[in-house]
Amino acid sequence: MADTQRHPRVSALVRDSAGILLIIAIALAALVILAFLLSKTPGKTLWYFFFGPLQNTYYFGNMLNSAIPLIFGGLGVSLAMRSDNFNLGGEGQIYSGAFTATICAIQLAPLGIPGAVLALLAGALVAGFLGGLSGYFRMKWDTSELITSFLISNGVVLMVNYLIAGPFMDTSTNLIATQKIPEAFHLPLILPPSNLSSALFLAVVAVFCVHFYLFKTKMGYELRMSGLNRQFARYGGIDTKLYMVLPMFLSGALYGLGGGIAIYGTYFSCMKEFSTGMGWNGLAVALIAKFKPSAVIPAALFFAYIEAGSRNAMLHSDVTFEIASIVQSVVFFLVTSEVLQRVFGKKGDR
Amino acid sequence: MEFAVEMLGITKTYPGNHFLANDTVDLTLRKGEILCLAGENGAGKTTLMKILYGMEKADAGSIRVMGKDVRIASPLDANKLCIGMAHQHFMLVDGFTVAQNVVMGIEPTRFGCLYDQQQAVKRVEEVIRKHQFSIEAGKPVKSLTVGQKQQAEIVKMLYRDVDILILDEPTAVLTAQETDHLFHTLRSLAKDGKSLILITHKLHEIKEISDRVAIMRQGKMVGVFETSQVDELELSRLMMGQSTALHIRHGATPEDRQAIIRFKEVSVTRHGQQQPLLNRVSFTAQSSEILGFAGVAGNGLGVLEAVLGGFLPVSSGHIYHREKEITNQSQRQLRSHGLAYVPADRLRVGSALEASVQENLIIAARASFSRYTILQKKRMAEHTRRLLEKYSVKGAPGMPIGTLSGGNIQKVILAREMEQYRDYIVLSEPTWGLDIASSQYVYTRMAALRDQGAAVILISSNLDEILALSDRIIVFYQGSMVAFLQGDEARDVSKQELGAYMLGLKCQQEVLHG
Repeated sequence: MADTQRHPRVSALVRDSAGILLIIAIALAALVILAFLLSKTPGKTLWYFFFGPLQNTYYFGNMLNSAIPLIFGGLGVSLAMRSDNFNLGGEGQIYSGAFTATICAIQLAPLGIPGAVLALLAGALVAGFLGGLSGYFRMKWDTSELITSFLISNGVVLMVNYLIAGPFMDTSTNLIATQKIPEAFHLPLILPPSNLSSALFLAVVAVFCVHFYLFKTKMGYELRMSGLNRQFARYGGIDTKLYMVLPMFLSGALYGLGGGIAIYGTYFSCMKEFSTGMGWNGLAVALIAKFKPSAVIPAALFFAYIEAGSRNAMLHSDVTFEIASIVQSVVFFLVTSEVLQRVFGKKGDR
Repeated sequence: MEFAVEMLGITKTYPGNHFLANDTVDLTLRKGEILCLAGENGAGKTTLMKILYGMEKADAGSIRVMGKDVRIASPLDANKLCIGMAHQHFMLVDGFTVAQNVVMGIEPTRFGCLYDQQQAVKRVEEVIRKHQFSIEAGKPVKSLTVGQKQQAEIVKMLYRDVDILILDEPTAVLTAQETDHLFHTLRSLAKDGKSLILITHKLHEIKEISDRVAIMRQGKMVGVFETSQVDELELSRLMMGQSTALHIRHGATPEDRQAIIRFKEVSVTRHGQQQPLLNRVSFTAQSSEILGFAGVAGNGLGVLEAVLGGFLPVSSGHIYHREKEITNQSQRQLRSHGLAYVPADRLRVGSALEASVQENLIIAARASFSRYTILQKKRMAEHTRRLLEKYSVKGAPGMPIGTLSGGNIQKVILAREMEQYRDYIVLSEPTWGLDIASSQYVYTRMAALRDQGAAVILISSNLDEILALSDRIIVFYQGSMVAFLQGDEARDVSKQELGAYMLGLKCQQEVLHG
């Protein structure tokens, strides 16, 4: 206790990262145990799990690439959480953002690069609208944004499924997918032969922007104060109603942007349910990062690493891909049990 | 004479601020009597009872219950000793029925494990009938009136077969009829041989209900008296004590005082309650003066504060700032008119505990520290450093404010609001938890603000503070203004007289109906 009083910042940092490191250690221990239980060649499985993703540029680049949407999602959730809003609608937001961006990109092809940017923004706007809707409902009728964002997202996924399989399906291929975006809009690959594109730089820029917004601007300050103590924010003359809607909008927009950029960098056409799981994983990343934008990158990399590791172990030994889900869920379980306690403890008296 | 409870030499210091809440207090409760525990806010009554009920741990002292030495470490221990406590703030689950609330924790079961709903209702009905309460066991608590909730709270204790019942300000929220009803019940409980302790500061209730009265002041037991032996004036003198002189120079009376904040017939009523929380209150806060508001907790000062701070809309009436109407404006608008406000609830309203000291300091002035919406780090740090030094706050700018002591948190809030005032400032209980030196500093700052021309609105339950500082004094009782003291009247009024107004023993007719 005396220690926390003397160096609260430092000791909080140590405590936080010690907690996370412990959680990661437990998860990896679970992995080792599983490998010995499930695999006939546990040594080989573990080697491929831990070192597979790092053994060549192809695997390494793909791992980095799969972290990109997680970074955007993680940022989106962190931003909402900082204002005491819980955005569970990532799945629908990422999917609708990607779909909108794809369709607009195809339509705006003649405009060239400005068209590409406009299409991305359109995707972010649609996804932001979906998030903002939940915030608006909360402000207006005190509904739980946690529930509404989840429900809206579920509906939206089905709607986009219909649009892709129906009016916007590209009949020239056998895939259930939209047409491809123009070649000129593709983000350049930066680590061939892997899929890693320059979207990575955009993700890093996004992290910087969110960090700057939250901690260096007046609006970010207002957002954070609304999240820490809404009563206090109101008392200080902050428009707390605005900060029920705006962060949810921005959160959705970041998810949508992540979806659009995934199309531009990796997928090039919006395939049916291509983004399934990205929304939830973005949430997991934000929880591991404890809603710190700067911690979102390592958290996303860790998540991507586990996934790439299991994919590798699956390819080269006798375990199934589910081993990744188990490790992720152990991490998720341990992190959320701690974080949710804090979140719901606070929501109780708002 | 047999005693139900004997507390000997109870001492309790709160660790955070080294505040001596109980100082070697002795208290005895006879079997079958009703004892009132009386005293001003912060006298240590509730702390003493929480120790008896196992919610707080005494630093020293011993407790005997029914003649046996006991250790009470938790409310569960207290229940085992047949001690029950009904809290001032009801501890009831709104969505549950009365029966469910009553049996909670000791539910009757079937087959040893299943909750037996019918049995619960039946047993609770029995208790209710036996003591002639007016509630139904099957009704949800949220449909009850405040008085009925109080009954449910007492039934909860009786169901547990308590012999010793502590009630913390049971009448604070009750109407006159409900209070009569409650007292009737309490008397019959005492007749059945139960021993009761009532925490209260209402004098006429002490006279009406109690056999004996124990009076506390500033953590000490002043004395225990047979109620029939003391009159109300004597009681109020014992509760208030002799005033300790604070030396603050009153302001001169310049002729050109302007009206800054004006209340015109402002009322606040709450849905479903007859008694308005604030009843046609009219006053004017002028520049270059300190306007003091005095009253006992629960008589409208908290409501007045919420209205001034923009947290509570008024039901009728008008509020003006420099003769421009500001009735029911948002905090944002009030702040832009220049509101500076030190709230009584410093932890939930006045600060964000997880935010840093610096972030807490700039909340209302944030616009002046940003340029094109980007916060200017250097100027903020400079401002913070200056204020922390000026108000001698023990704490660093980057520390979460929640890690500071209560007194230092209050200093940060005072620094923030006093530094950014424009023409008026509202201070509610500004010196709660501050030591004498810090309080003195706050008083001199308030006087300085007044001399600069500020309209200072001081809401305080500390009478010494009110008397020492106020140029004019308004007293609230049951939501109405019962006295408005100005000029020499405010200067020469005694603590006893003020106490008499606060406790409803005296009232200036022209103020009440004017």
